[in-house]
Amino acid sequence: MSVIQRESNEAKPTRILYGANLSHDRLVKYLEELKALGVIQEIGTDEKVYGLTQKGIEFMNNFKRVESFASAFGFKI
Amino acid sequence: MVSGPSWFFGFGAFMEFIAFAIAIAIANQALKGYRLSKEKTLLYLNLSFVLIGAGLLVDGLASLIVFVTGAHRGFLYPFAVGYTIYFFAQVIAYGLLVYAYVYQAREIGAGPALVAAVPFLFFARNAVTELILIFLLVYIATQTGNNYSLNKGTNALLVFGAFVTLSIAHVFFLIFTVDRIFYPLAHITQLLGFLLLLWMLLRVNRQK
Repeated sequence: MSVIQRESNEAKPTRILYGANLSHDRLVKYLEELKALGVIQEIGTDEKVYGLTQKGIEFMNNFKRVESFASAFGFKI
Repeated sequence: MVSGPSWFFGFGAFMEFIAFAIAIAIANQALKGYRLSKEKTLLYLNLSFVLIGAGLLVDGLASLIVFVTGAHRGFLYPFAVGYTIYFFAQVIAYGLLVYAYVYQAREIGAGPALVAAVPFLFFARNAVTELILIFLLVYIATQTGNNYSLNKGTNALLVFGAFVTLSIAHVFFLIFTVDRIFYPLAHITQLLGFLLLLWMLLRVNRQK
């Protein structure tokens, strides 16, 4: 999800694959899980491109806040 | 039983109520973080600040009772009750935070420093109890200081500053028996420590 966000909310599967350092099978599995959770969606017409849904954007914002809060105390998540 | 200057009793309670509210806000943020990430360190942080808040609330209420009933003119037993509960809550709370840092470093062999067996009686603020709290707070301040030296972020600096300030507050609590002016200074310094934590929390929640 952070890879997709870094790519201005439009990322092709290969970009996610290298950005997240995943194997192809794992990538497919995680993309399906994230789609089922409603945090990412396919937004391409001719080719597969993934973007974050509003729910996904809110999740990432909340996660960043949690990360920031935890790291202020020296805790890693 | 040594207590602070009688003119300060109401102010001290008020400051502790503010610190209680901030502690609960921190605990709430930590709980949100735990629900999202399932990281145990955030659960320990939540429990720690719930206990800190509870201790402050009880101590503040005890001071308020003494202030409202005019007991500061003589009878100070509620102070001892309030402080005893406050002390145990703080020891467990800061002990949990110490454990969280140790847990993160996976030095489990060091063992968690939690409550030692003590006789069940109420006691007033004294050198031994304050030294225990100072020891725990200095450890936590060191950890947060290390974090700031690596992190260099403003939030890390605020948390480091908060625990240094809380340590200083308890040094003031330790020495107020020498000069009672240190009692209000201790409360003000303690509140300042919590205000630094509040500032960090506001910065975290303001970010997009």
